[in-house]
Amino acid sequence: MPKHIARLVLLIIGFGALALAAKSFFTVDSFYRFGHYRADSVPEIAALTPAFQTPKACQTCHAPRHAEWSGANHKSVICEACHGAAPGHPDHLKVSIPTDTQRLCTQCHEQMPGRPSSSVRQIDPGQHYPSATQCIACHNPHAPKIEAAAARPVFDRKAAVASAAVCAGCHGESGTAANEIWPNLAGQNAAYLARSLGAFKTGARTDATMAPMAQAVADDDVPNLAAYFSSLSCGASGRRGSGDAAAGKVLAKQCTACHGESGRPVNTSWPRLAGQNPGYLANALTAFREGQRSDPFMSPVAHGLSDADIANLATYFAALSCGATSK
Amino acid sequence: MKGYTMNSDDQPAVPARRIFLRDISRGAACAGAVAGAAGLLAAAEAAPGKAEATGSDAASFPTPDYDWNQHRWAYCIDATKCIGCLRCVEACKRENGVALDAHHFRTWVERYAYLDGEEKPHIDSMADPVNIAESGSESQYRFANRYRDAKVDKAFFVPKLCNHCTHPACVQVCPTGATFKTRDGVVLIDHKYCIGCQYCVQACPYGARFFNHAKGVTDKCTWCYHRITKGLLPACVEVCPVEARMFGDLNDKESVVSRFIRNNRVQVLKPETGNAPNVYYIGLDKEVS
Repeated sequence: MPKHIARLVLLIIGFGALALAAKSFFTVDSFYRFGHYRADSVPEIAALTPAFQTPKACQTCHAPRHAEWSGANHKSVICEACHGAAPGHPDHLKVSIPTDTQRLCTQCHEQMPGRPSSSVRQIDPGQHYPSATQCIACHNPHAPKIEAAAARPVFDRKAAVASAAVCAGCHGESGTAANEIWPNLAGQNAAYLARSLGAFKTGARTDATMAPMAQAVADDDVPNLAAYFSSLSCGASGRRGSGDAAAGKVLAKQCTACHGESGRPVNTSWPRLAGQNPGYLANALTAFREGQRSDPFMSPVAHGLSDADIANLATYFAALSCGATSK
Repeated sequence: MKGYTMNSDDQPAVPARRIFLRDISRGAACAGAVAGAAGLLAAAEAAPGKAEATGSDAASFPTPDYDWNQHRWAYCIDATKCIGCLRCVEACKRENGVALDAHHFRTWVERYAYLDGEEKPHIDSMADPVNIAESGSESQYRFANRYRDAKVDKAFFVPKLCNHCTHPACVQVCPTGATFKTRDGVVLIDHKYCIGCQYCVQACPYGARFFNHAKGVTDKCTWCYHRITKGLLPACVEVCPVEARMFGDLNDKESVVSRFIRNNRVQVLKPETGNAPNVYYIGLDKEVS
């Protein structure tokens, strides 16, 4: 072989060896493990943290609400579809409560060409109760069907009476409270009672007396107890407030969208105000105003009320007849 | 076109073009392998890796609780149920940290509307200015009720996402091995190896890939690989309120997708490309591709 050719061959072999050495040096160990890719990237991607937690995760703390939702016809809409993904909740993230429900609800329920009516009930927002600004004034988003909410809930009376014995000390045997500071429970909406009891259990609502009582109630007893008190007939307590009922009536116009014209809301997750104790109503409004209680809908409403306004409103609603107690 | 139908056999037909190119490249490779010594060296180096590649003996991969040899994922869409609420789109963006604008999506929904007296459908999606105006900002998604007063012959919504093809064109063109098909049937992107050349964006016939400007890499749907390997559903499937989106394991004959494919006459998008998608639809129309 001529010398110059031999040199060339050696040079080529040298370059080849160098290239292969460089390749083996720069290729990570896992690269050809399964194919022409870095196998380690698969566990890396699999190790990412999920954002959506699924309703099962919500159920561990919000069992009564979960039961209400999973038994009704919004059960295919998961919690986080409306409340947003909840990674790190409750330690690091507060979950949002949607306030513009008209916008949120019409995302699915607005009548639209191409939207199959077999999948979802649709409305024309301009025609469907145009005077109501928010869907939640009438609909409970967790159990949206109004007829279903109005139906008498089935519950275990015997068990409820047994667990209601501890409530009677303050709220009365018949659900009519011993004094005007504590709320009457008889005839109150079941969904609202369950929600309140749940809030005391989780600490979302606080009260020195009520919180430990609520924590002693088992999750399964909450809906039962709520349905029991709701089924009791609300006798007139006869308690009258010290405010001016006529002035309260004028102010009450801003309450009726959710609490109903007669203090009895269509959406049963809102409380009935008609016939409630005036002292309790005044305290509740004051608590919302001062921020001791907070609610995305109530807090802004209560914010602008004076002490006199609160007394007038409490007097007005306390004087309304709590009426038929079919619920 | 018939040759590319999905359920035929284990080896769906590969287009002649690809076979030709493969053969050409093999020929070239053989011609190039004159340096025999170098070839031997390469074989010696690749040997340890090869030994592992064949081993199904290896412990459960990619996580201790999840073995990718046990699953063969598929996705089904019933377009007749979709209501265009876009919960899926918002959930996907939130789950995967996709840029909150109207132009980058791992999954999206298209609306097809055939108006009276017109031949072709009007197609719009989240990037349409009318829909952006209706949603109020580019970070929220909503279909404007723009055909409310029009005479609509037919209209429907079509959810779309990466098809996680059996023969993915995007994987074939990737120059760095940054995108690949896993054994459980998911096409993933290794963001550490992606150089952002976007050949794959060009290669995908479905427009499923986009460029992630913040990271300088290509991005796309992973079927929420971080969720499915933990026993959860992809976020879009989880939030869909009408069960238009379904996800499951084809290895399980009673899974929701197995039953869906068995009980319906399903179709895939653009079968003629030979990519053999794994997203199965019902309720599409002739114009949908």
